[in-house]
Amino acid sequence: MTRLPILTTALAIGLATTAHAQTTLTILMIEGLDKGAMEAVAAQYMQDRADVKVEIQSLPWNQFFQVSEMRLKSGDAAVDLIYTDAPVVAAYAANGYIQPFDAAVADEAKAKLVAPSVTAGTYDGKLYSLPMNSSAQVLYYNVDLLKAAGVTPPNGLTKGSVANPDAIATLASTDRWTFEQIAEAAKAVSGSEGGKAKPWGFAFEQFAELYQLQPLGGSLGSDLISADAMTADSYLNGEAWTKAATWWSDLFNSWNVSPRSLGFGEAAQMFTNGQLAMFVGGTWNVAAVAQSSINFGIAPHPKFADGKAATPTGSWYLSVTKASPDAAAATDFAHYAALSDQGTDIWFDKLNQLPTTNRLLDKINADNSFDAFPASVMRLSAWESRNTAVARPVTVAFSQLQDAFRTAFTDIANGVAVDEALATAVDSYDQAAKRLNRK
Amino acid sequence: MNRSPIKLLVLTLAPALLGLAVFRAYPIGLALYESLYTTIGGERAFIGLGNYLDLLTDAGFWKSLRVTLWFNLIINPLQVALALALALMFVQKLPGMAVFRLLFLIPIGISLPVAVIIWRIVLLPEGFLNGVLGGVGLGPYRFLTSPDFALYSIIAIATWKGVSYWMIFLVGGLQNIPPEIGEAARLEGASPWQRLWLITLPLLRPTLLFVLVADVTINFLLFAPVFMLTGGGPRGSTNVLMYEAYKSGFVFGDMGRAMAIVVCLVALLLVIVGIQFRLLSSAPPKETP
Repeated sequence: MTRLPILTTALAIGLATTAHAQTTLTILMIEGLDKGAMEAVAAQYMQDRADVKVEIQSLPWNQFFQVSEMRLKSGDAAVDLIYTDAPVVAAYAANGYIQPFDAAVADEAKAKLVAPSVTAGTYDGKLYSLPMNSSAQVLYYNVDLLKAAGVTPPNGLTKGSVANPDAIATLASTDRWTFEQIAEAAKAVSGSEGGKAKPWGFAFEQFAELYQLQPLGGSLGSDLISADAMTADSYLNGEAWTKAATWWSDLFNSWNVSPRSLGFGEAAQMFTNGQLAMFVGGTWNVAAVAQSSINFGIAPHPKFADGKAATPTGSWYLSVTKASPDAAAATDFAHYAALSDQGTDIWFDKLNQLPTTNRLLDKINADNSFDAFPASVMRLSAWESRNTAVARPVTVAFSQLQDAFRTAFTDIANGVAVDEALATAVDSYDQAAKRLNRK
Repeated sequence: MNRSPIKLLVLTLAPALLGLAVFRAYPIGLALYESLYTTIGGERAFIGLGNYLDLLTDAGFWKSLRVTLWFNLIINPLQVALALALALMFVQKLPGMAVFRLLFLIPIGISLPVAVIIWRIVLLPEGFLNGVLGGVGLGPYRFLTSPDFALYSIIAIATWKGVSYWMIFLVGGLQNIPPEIGEAARLEGASPWQRLWLITLPLLRPTLLFVLVADVTINFLLFAPVFMLTGGGPRGSTNVLMYEAYKSGFVFGDMGRAMAIVVCLVALLLVIVGIQFRLLSSAPPKETP
């Protein structure tokens, strides 16, 4: 009778294997530096939890949204965690692609993170996504080009400068250039040549994008859409946005100081080549610009003279998919990556993007290593994120809003009348909002 | 041997019918079915004709429909007329025709995306065409970003790419016309113009019908140049229905609306092609003895 012991042993081995079965979590995200940072976070996480394996699937930026939309829509159980751009959180939640975190995680997030980043991850009163980092935009200016055009450059952070927290607060609250000053300086640099023989005066890094241009209307005190997200009427086509869009139109059609349409990274490239005197862009350009031979400075994001400071914010989030068969494990990883000290430290060290945890923001403020340029730019960004940041609106029709906005501002740059372009954008958004909000 | 021709017919037609069912009927059926659904609160929901009723009051859809009709009203007659003119030149036995034939066959060998990229370089504000125009003191023109030019630039590119292709069919049709008929007419004293109107064109009618129907279908479904060059802008001037449907389905994830647009497009095409068939395939008047 040797069969019974063999059977028992096999059963025991089987049970043991089951007990130590590894849970595999798959994250779908964009390629590039973010993926490297996520790999570092995952490696540390796996060291502490031998029963979990984290795999990362990545896609190029230009395919990411379309492919992830299709995979989420089809209920693909092979994706446990999805890298989520802030503004699509609402649409993903409304479409049932992602699941909310429980109250404990939501309360912890509220306690540990800056408020706008929690708001952007919340839909219908529930926290659906945890922020990995935020973002901030600053004004890059070429000191030599401005001086050569007879313009006194703005006060800002420059090579060799040191800025303690008080100096940053003073700079950002009392020494901010206005969009009117930007226009005058740009005209002085470009003249009537419109960048042909002379350099261009000014550009925004992300041409006609909502993320980039929301502060134009925001500075004049207007939202893009109503608080209930049902309409853009009397917001996007209201007085404030009409004034903001007219200023944008003049950049191209009256003053001829800004290039029409710029591809990704082109503004920074033109700036480092000396072909562009000023641009508003993300802090992620600092390293590349600092390596160039350009004598440059970094000033706070501009505002309108009769308006308040408003700056872009928000970045990538991590969400647990509804189809995930290991939702508990996925939630645990998201919590580790976005809320734990260890996870957020690794992410910040690897990616050097503006954090969303109060702890890291406090550290940036207090730590002496952020006094010197260009690390001080992170301190300026941290100040902006706590004082002037305006999150993009939360709406299930965000993709449509973003598209309508981009179309309107591209058209305006190409000479279409401001009123007409904004009215068309309002129509497009209102139609979509009505359709997507039907119960 | 009592062989039924039915079996043979079914057997020989089966591959074609299968292809028709899988690649034509099934997608149309699927589009019809999906156009009756939407997503509400993450759940797929049947809403009957809701998506179509929404389109009735959807300004974006009507504007896109107007752009599609205007685009086709220009491009189809233009392409067929140019293809016919080229085909008539193609069959002439004139010196230097070999070079002419080669030149006009080149666009057929270039894929549409490659052609679009090349044309983009030509039409940019700092591109080749503006360089040439600048040489004579004109421009620069914003061929792709001005609401006044963009649609016509797309028409020019699609025509450059399409004309030679349709020309090939018309050349085939022209070569099928027995030369004796034209010769007899010539001996009877018919002028070249009369021979074209009274002999060549009536005899070319079946080929012309095919070219017209196929050309209209392709142009109603044109997508790549709009996708690659203008993204539907500026001011929605190039936002044809195919692009509107693509954006709705694949950019915004609103598949119900996208499918409703596609179904409307197919219905519109069926009506137009039906009219073309009626106008062009009526039997020629019988000769009285």
